[in-house]
Amino acid sequence: MIEVQGLTKRYGKKKNTFIALDNVSFSIESGSSVAIIGKSGSGKSTLMHCMSGLDRPTLGEVKVDGESIGSMKQKTLDNFRSKKIGFIFQAFFVQANETCVQNVGLPLEISKTKYATRKRLILSALKTVGLEDKANQKAKNLSGGQKQRLAIARALVGKPSILFADEPTGNLDSQTGDQIEKLLFALNKKVGMTLIIVTHDSDLAARCDRQITLKDGKVISDTLKSTAKVQPSKVKVAS
Amino acid sequence: MKYIDSIRRAGRSLKNAKARTLLTSLAIAVGSFTLTLSIAAGIGAREYADKLISSNVDPDALFIVKDKTVVGGSQPQTGLTEYDPDRLTQGGTTIKMLTQDDVTKLQARSDLSNVRPIYDVSATYVMFEGISKKYSASVNVYNPDVQSDVVSGTLPSIGGDIADNTVVIPSSFAETLGLSTEQIIGKKLTITVQKGLTSTDKIEQTFTVVASVAPSNLSFSDSKAIQIPITIAKKISDFSTQGTPAYQKYFAVTAKAKNSTPDEVKAALEKEGFYPQTAKDLQGFLFTIINTLQGIVAGFGALALIASLFGIINTQYISVLERTREIGLMKALGMRGRHVRRLFQLEAAWIGFLGGVLGALLAWGVGVAINPWLSEVMELGDNRILVFKLLPIAGLILGLILIAMIAGWFPSRKASKLDPIEALRTE
Repeated sequence: MIEVQGLTKRYGKKKNTFIALDNVSFSIESGSSVAIIGKSGSGKSTLMHCMSGLDRPTLGEVKVDGESIGSMKQKTLDNFRSKKIGFIFQAFFVQANETCVQNVGLPLEISKTKYATRKRLILSALKTVGLEDKANQKAKNLSGGQKQRLAIARALVGKPSILFADEPTGNLDSQTGDQIEKLLFALNKKVGMTLIIVTHDSDLAARCDRQITLKDGKVISDTLKSTAKVQPSKVKVAS
Repeated sequence: MKYIDSIRRAGRSLKNAKARTLLTSLAIAVGSFTLTLSIAAGIGAREYADKLISSNVDPDALFIVKDKTVVGGSQPQTGLTEYDPDRLTQGGTTIKMLTQDDVTKLQARSDLSNVRPIYDVSATYVMFEGISKKYSASVNVYNPDVQSDVVSGTLPSIGGDIADNTVVIPSSFAETLGLSTEQIIGKKLTITVQKGLTSTDKIEQTFTVVASVAPSNLSFSDSKAIQIPITIAKKISDFSTQGTPAYQKYFAVTAKAKNSTPDEVKAALEKEGFYPQTAKDLQGFLFTIINTLQGIVAGFGALALIASLFGIINTQYISVLERTREIGLMKALGMRGRHVRRLFQLEAAWIGFLGGVLGALLAWGVGVAINPWLSEVMELGDNRILVFKLLPIAGLILGLILIAMIAGWFPSRKASKLDPIEALRTE
């Protein structure tokens, strides 16, 4: 459960103030898939950064499973990200010179996972994304779609409860993009990982349980797909 | 992040930038090379000096002079000083000599034994039995406390003096005379010292050769000189100086401490107006020279090292810039700032380690290769001037790692302060 309450983010001071997020509130049920839609500059990236603990809001708070991440110390916050959050980026951000195993192993190194369990977790994550036969290949030898699958394996290896995907198909052709989408939704359904996709691709957004649309830092629409698990009562539209 | 993971990751990052890593560590290697050589030379020189002293100088031995300037602490001479009959001017410097009274006084002391003045013996010419030619050769007093390397003939055991009419010669003389070293034993040798121009004003002393000795690399004594017994040396010295101001004046006296330590004797003698040097003083003097020379070489190494530190800082700054996204990703995934810093400092440490090992290995290789040549040029025989010991070299490498980490601190701090959002926005 992610609760966003009165989230405001301002940049700059006094006259030059730019409001990236303006009093945004909503909550997301665990295990659901949510698309955050908006044009560039609408505040969707800032919202994602604040929700994932990469950035701190100016006002308001974000609660994940009842814990307010805004009041966490940096160390606790780093630990929180390492344990609970997975990230997927448009530009993949895989380390070209490292092997698939080394790439996927990074979050486990950061979270100080025991060596004994690392290998098993890495291989099972690679298997989930269908890269088990590329385990010892360097990432630079992979195709775009494979790189994004590798990034997904890296995001899910630590078994996070929330997966943030920032334009996950933005750099891929439609066919490969489609495979990645399928993989993400399968993970969401099977593992029950909360999936939050930041995108301006309306087709991708339409496949999510819920679409939150931002404009100029404000939520302008919050719609549910008819088959959504989320109950309308849980949805609060910012006033 | 666990320490071992950080070390591995740092090593892997360097492996991905091989050329840059190698070049940066080569800069360190120059410093490491010079420092390793200076350490090796220092150890070698000190070992050699130790051997030299222990095989030549009795630990109880004292070298006693009357003039302070001889044993160091020389005062500038004003040029015009009041005449003192005990002072002799030789080679431009005036030195206060020991008189026969001084020698007698020293011989009477209960804390000294083997008090022997250093006699100045210079032969006008030397002749050998059965050979008509006259030869020039230097003459020394036989020192019973120094072990000589006997080639032929026999010598008394250490501490025992040779008989009055016998002489020890260098084995190389045999070759000059066209004899074997065995043949020369038992031959008669005559030393002639001429004072004036008339034939009556000369002294001739005949000896029997009892032994020939080889030059030793560890010997102070002039192994190219004829060695005569002290009694005859006194006779010759007295003869050649009689009637001159140098008569029965001695530059120095050698002695051995008895019943007390050399340092105690030294202190006692200093109160009496003598300036003694102990074996320890001699060692200290040699070590001071060695340390100074070593310091100069090490100084150059340190300079090279300082220059290479800027190389590390520069390389690591570039590395941070190049890997902005990687750092951003690691921080986004929850890596602590100080772990990011540690990662980059460990990379610097790796560079320091590589440079240190590279330089030390290179120095070792060069040392092993040129050691025989150096020993030959410096006439050290089997002694090696460059001695490589594992512990000091390991210490040096450890020091280099530490210094590299300090240099890596600035770039690594920049890395740790990167904002992940900004870093990941970089396209």
